[in-house]
Amino acid sequence: MDDQGCPRCKTTKYRNPSLKLMVNVCGHTLCENCVEMLFVRGAGNCVQCNTPLRKNNFRVQLFEDPTVDKEVEIRKKVMKIYNKRECDFQSLREYNDYLEQVEDIVYNLTNNVDVENTKLRMEQYQRENKDVIQRNKAKLTREQEELEELLLLEQQSNEQRRLEVLQEEQRQLQAKRKSKQALLDELEQSKLPATLLLAQHKVRAAQLETEIEQQKQNVKPTSLFSTGIQMNHTVSLQPLPRIEEALYLYKPLHVETYGPPVPELEQLGRYGYLNHVRGSLPQDTAGGYTSALACYRAIQDAFSGLFPPKF
Amino acid sequence: MYHNSSQRKYWIFKNEAELDQKRCSANEAFRNKVIESGKAGVNESMFLKRNEEDVLFRHYERRLLDFCCAFKPPMPKSVVGTALTYFRRFYLNNSVMEYHPRIIMLTCAYLSCKVDEFNVSSTQFVGNLLQETPAGQERVLEQILEYELLLIQQLNFHLVVHNPYRPLEGLLIDLKTRYPALENPESLRKSADDFLTQAVMTDAGLLCSPSQIALTAILNSASRAGLSMESYLNECLGLKEDKDSLSKMFELMRRTKTLLKKYELPKPEEVNIYKQKLERIHAEFSSSSNKRKRGYEEDDHVAKEARLEEEVRSFFSTGFIKADAY
Repeated sequence: MDDQGCPRCKTTKYRNPSLKLMVNVCGHTLCENCVEMLFVRGAGNCVQCNTPLRKNNFRVQLFEDPTVDKEVEIRKKVMKIYNKRECDFQSLREYNDYLEQVEDIVYNLTNNVDVENTKLRMEQYQRENKDVIQRNKAKLTREQEELEELLLLEQQSNEQRRLEVLQEEQRQLQAKRKSKQALLDELEQSKLPATLLLAQHKVRAAQLETEIEQQKQNVKPTSLFSTGIQMNHTVSLQPLPRIEEALYLYKPLHVETYGPPVPELEQLGRYGYLNHVRGSLPQDTAGGYTSALACYRAIQDAFSGLFPPKF
Repeated sequence: MYHNSSQRKYWIFKNEAELDQKRCSANEAFRNKVIESGKAGVNESMFLKRNEEDVLFRHYERRLLDFCCAFKPPMPKSVVGTALTYFRRFYLNNSVMEYHPRIIMLTCAYLSCKVDEFNVSSTQFVGNLLQETPAGQERVLEQILEYELLLIQQLNFHLVVHNPYRPLEGLLIDLKTRYPALENPESLRKSADDFLTQAVMTDAGLLCSPSQIALTAILNSASRAGLSMESYLNECLGLKEDKDSLSKMFELMRRTKTLLKKYELPKPEEVNIYKQKLERIHAEFSSSSNKRKRGYEEDDHVAKEARLEEEVRSFFSTGFIKADAY
């Protein structure tokens, strides 16, 4: 963001990274301070293109490129008029044509191409399709309301759950305190020996604990396994139907080398090939190299493609 | 390995006639291109004929070999072989008149160093061009980098080349192990090496597989030394029953030896005359066929503008002024 400066006071943007850039309908940017200064009377001309502007038309820039912001604004306005949806069209082709129309309009308005014609077209469309526009607007507001209601419900249920948990905890704490108090009272008043009372109290406390544990585990039992099978439904124990297909027969890979057969790597020593190859030093064998590898490669290369191919 | 390589599939041809035809058609294609571009002052005698192109090709091939042999640090033989193979393959499908061999030869050497993992930095590479100043070397390097992508394209991206040097080693090992009748195969090594060096300057690499060339080298040096190796082919290579293959192999070897014998060093006077002709052709026609390959720029925007300017400039220079020019 720092590479873009305010075109008027240039320096201020770099020095003050928290400064915001504002964009107007002509697509040119100004920092907040400059907007204040230039539009102190509420209206003025743009610095770069001299179009008459109002101060309240300035919006905080969201994108790095001011033309993008300009296009976003224009699009919002156009979409308020051109608000048909896919279900309003008979075929996908028509819907796509409609969308292309909308894009053309947005493009023209953003790049100042043929502005009057485009505005005329927009007005004409608005006049022709007034009722459709109204209907769609109504639908949109209804959808938004439904969404909001759903959100509200979800929030409320969350709140309730939280409250319930809190209450449960409170109750448990109180129960514990009561039993402790009861113990103290009994110790004071009862005629039974203290050890017996303590033992009773311990038993009662243990019972309370188990009760609490049980309640915690008293989750609502589910009715569905994760695979979608209902609980307590008996699954058929019939064997699955047999599917027979052709068996796979392994055929070892055969590579045509167009030459005499090469002895295997392991046999090279036995045949005496290794006597004619430079032996490997201990440093080489440490890495896994053996002289047989070099020998094998040389023999392979010597025999590969030796015979002329059978035309 | 060679048997499933691109070399065997795409760069081995049946006979010399096929190679000749390819080169002729490359020559023709260039001629037609120049004639069609409608440049003034073109006449048939300006173009190089096939045999003249051949002489130039051999001259520059020899220069490439000398360059590689004088290279510091010393280039392994496989790198040299790969460079010469690239050179030969490139001029199979392109004409000497279209791309000047002096740059292509350096580009081939540069590319083969990279492909064969013989690591030389670009400055070290052009440092081997001793007759140029450092500024001249820079310019040559730029030219090499321009033509590198074109070279790779014309090789159809088949960059792995199988040379006959390792098969030669393999055959010597096999001889020592399985053919005790031959007492000292090492004595054959030197003349076989020379044979291979000569063979890489011929079309043998485009007609036979590298192991066949290596076998021919060994049999040739054995017969030169007066030793007979008939039974090797029959016994050890298992060709006793397969008379057909045996005869085909002998045929192939005979053809390879003929190719080597036919090779003659280009004569300096001829070379000079043809070189002058080549320079003239390049000076005249290289501006319209100015395929400055821009393989390495990052900034598309700049390149597109520059190319447009070039096109406009070349339009004006050849006198084609469009009626609806803007």
